[in-house]
Amino acid sequence: MTSTAVPARTRLGPTLEPYALVIIFVLMFVFFAIAPETSDLFASHANLSSVLANQSVLGVLALGSLAPLVCRNFDLSVGAIASLSQIAIAAAMSRFDLPLVVALVVGIAIGTMVGVVNGIVVTRFRVNALIATLGMATFVAGLIQAYTEGQTISNGISKSFVRFGSGEQAGIPNVTFVLAVVAVAVWYLLTQVPFGRHLHFIGSNPESARLVGIDVDRAVRRSFVVSAFFASVGGALLVARNGTGDPRSGANYMLQALAAAALGATAIRPGRYNVVGTLVAIMLLGFGVNGLTLWGVPYWINDVFFGASLVVAVAISSSLGRERAGAT
Amino acid sequence: MTEPSGLARPGLALAGLGKSYAGVAALDGVTLEIRRGTVHCLVGGNGSGKSTLVKLLAGVVNRDARGTVTIGDRTVAASELTPSWARDAGLRFVHQDIGVFDDMSVADNVAVVTGYPTGPGGKIDRAALDTSVRALLQRFGLDVDPAAPTGSLRPAARTMLAIARALYDQGPSSRNGVLVLDEPTASLPEHESAFLREMLRRYAADGHAIVLITHHLSEVLDVADDVTVLRDGRHVVTREREGLEYRDLVALIVGSDIPERWARPVFEPATASDHGLVVTGLSGGSVHDLSLRVGRGEVVGIAGMRGSGRSQVVKMIAGVTAPTRGQVHVNGTDLGAGGIPSAIAAGVAYVPEDRDRDAAFGDLDVGSNLLAVGVRRYLRRGRLDHAAEHADATRLIREFGIRTRSERQTMSTLSGGNRQKVVLARWLERRPTLLLLDEPSQGVDVGARAEIHRIVEQAVELGTAALVVSSDFDELCLLCDRVIVMRSGRQVAELARHELTPARLTELSFAPLEAA
Repeated sequence: MTSTAVPARTRLGPTLEPYALVIIFVLMFVFFAIAPETSDLFASHANLSSVLANQSVLGVLALGSLAPLVCRNFDLSVGAIASLSQIAIAAAMSRFDLPLVVALVVGIAIGTMVGVVNGIVVTRFRVNALIATLGMATFVAGLIQAYTEGQTISNGISKSFVRFGSGEQAGIPNVTFVLAVVAVAVWYLLTQVPFGRHLHFIGSNPESARLVGIDVDRAVRRSFVVSAFFASVGGALLVARNGTGDPRSGANYMLQALAAAALGATAIRPGRYNVVGTLVAIMLLGFGVNGLTLWGVPYWINDVFFGASLVVAVAISSSLGRERAGAT
Repeated sequence: MTEPSGLARPGLALAGLGKSYAGVAALDGVTLEIRRGTVHCLVGGNGSGKSTLVKLLAGVVNRDARGTVTIGDRTVAASELTPSWARDAGLRFVHQDIGVFDDMSVADNVAVVTGYPTGPGGKIDRAALDTSVRALLQRFGLDVDPAAPTGSLRPAARTMLAIARALYDQGPSSRNGVLVLDEPTASLPEHESAFLREMLRRYAADGHAIVLITHHLSEVLDVADDVTVLRDGRHVVTREREGLEYRDLVALIVGSDIPERWARPVFEPATASDHGLVVTGLSGGSVHDLSLRVGRGEVVGIAGMRGSGRSQVVKMIAGVTAPTRGQVHVNGTDLGAGGIPSAIAAGVAYVPEDRDRDAAFGDLDVGSNLLAVGVRRYLRRGRLDHAAEHADATRLIREFGIRTRSERQTMSTLSGGNRQKVVLARWLERRPTLLLLDEPSQGVDVGARAEIHRIVEQAVELGTAALVVSSDFDELCLLCDRVIVMRSGRQVAELARHELTPARLTELSFAPLEAA
């Protein structure tokens, strides 16, 4: 019907809105850097570098999960896939004495296969993605326990790989460069090639997408393969960072990755999942938790912070999405 | 229809009604009277102010409104009109989206508005509910089982159910009610809306006032006692329908005569290859053994009632659903079982009936919507050429006269007519061999309809074959060289251009099937 202007609501200026998250991040960063309670520890190179490196691993997972999110499918298995590839890589070197490159290929291939299965379950058997990937995450976690019997794999991990994981170039952690490469790759995939455009069409209206000739099922399948691939890369980074294959690590990355992606959708291109927004969100969450911890806030703040930011972020971004659709 | 005596007192009177948004007048000094015992049709193009008027009456956008509203002996300044005042005064609204839950029972759908009668412990008293619902519906001539699922009702009965529940507290003796219906027939096939109109006429004859907003002018001419035309927020005329012709009405709405149908040479296929579309023995769903040909440069219509199989025919040709039997050749190529991709590759363009559900990407921008078919063609050296996309989108917006601020505007904020133009532009830019249109101008105003027709005519002149399904028989008569009439999945008639009249199409669509 004729859309007449809704009475103007008070809201952030349309020009400022995309950068609100960036501004919050900068203010928070500056605050922790100068507040007497946190300044000497927070602003130290060791602290910044360690947070940056940890968030880089998480960032790789979050960016990968954007592919299914753009076509409105949740992938809750990225944490489990990261764990799986991590264990596979560690085990390939430790138990099968495979060279690093072969171990990486094997581990990432195994993790990516999980994405292939996710895609088939979702598109062929029409299982809701939330259920399919939640089930897959639990299933994979069980397999990891069975294989490792809960033990960390720590022998025979490539020394040079671990050195890479803890190393820096020009004061910036090596893994952050990996994150940068992944960010460019995901940005390219989502915005510069037809595949990404197709995902956006499917996310907007799957039936319309089908009728303009897009192979919806194939694109959805591939989106799960993309997220599994990058989750597996994240698993490889975990091995490099920790120097071990720890069956417990990686699992709690799922919620944090989703929180970052959702929070990222409130920035840069409000109401849409996007790479730069996700990067900002990753850093906001990482340095936020770090600053609060240094402030002396107890350990449970981590869960409270991520849980709350996930829900708040989705609420904000869905209202931004509605505003976009309803604005005249 | 003559004015019932003793009801001269106006049911609803508006004086100098006005409303501006950001300095632009959406409604500008509208004064009119709606008589009791009449059906008063309110017509106008998109942006004419109909919706604003309804919103003002409902009391939802009344800040800075001007003028007064009088119902019976109660008068209120428009700026003071609140939803509860409207309710107390007897104003009732039924919107285009009638808000009926198909998988719940009729009684539940009534109770969701009227509330549930409850017994001890707050338990719903089903027996009391069924009795009251049955009584309510019978008042409106609906004899349905309150326990029946609402989805099983005929379409007009669903709408009538929405009307009945809106009027539940307006007893038969109450004569103050004013019922405002905002496009209640938009999604109803013709015979259903005729049934609905009959019920409305009876309700009005009881002494109630009905304000009916509709895009279907034949409906206006059929049911209205009085007609008000709005254009660009201003009151054009209020008059009796008596003596008003279709073309007069169009001229009043548009403000000028719309151009006549383009003079196009009558299509005469010289060779078989001139046939853009050849369908032989097509069966599937309710469609049985249908054959038809559409030449390049020809417009063929399919007329029929909802359920006649008319939409299924175009869906099967477009590859959306698979036929059980038969062949579809487009430009000499057998489409086989290739589905949508092979149809698109052969040059088929399909504009579906429900554009918001099946064609639009509502939350994406106009540019993306325009270029949605075959994004791959913008791939240059491994990435999409955004400059080329921008150039094409801008060109299409201009060529197809799409009214949008820019290609960046969100699709869902465009008017219905403009959204349809976007969908048409998306396909016609590809110079399709075959254009399949299902209800091309549903829910758009007369001006946009004329523009859409012109767009189709231009494509056809360039050699596209067009197959048009429409429940608007005026439209088929305006647009088509030939019309096939379908009934129960079979072709029952074919009319050439000189035989086409809406009345003839209606007659053929309804005629009972002879015993086989």
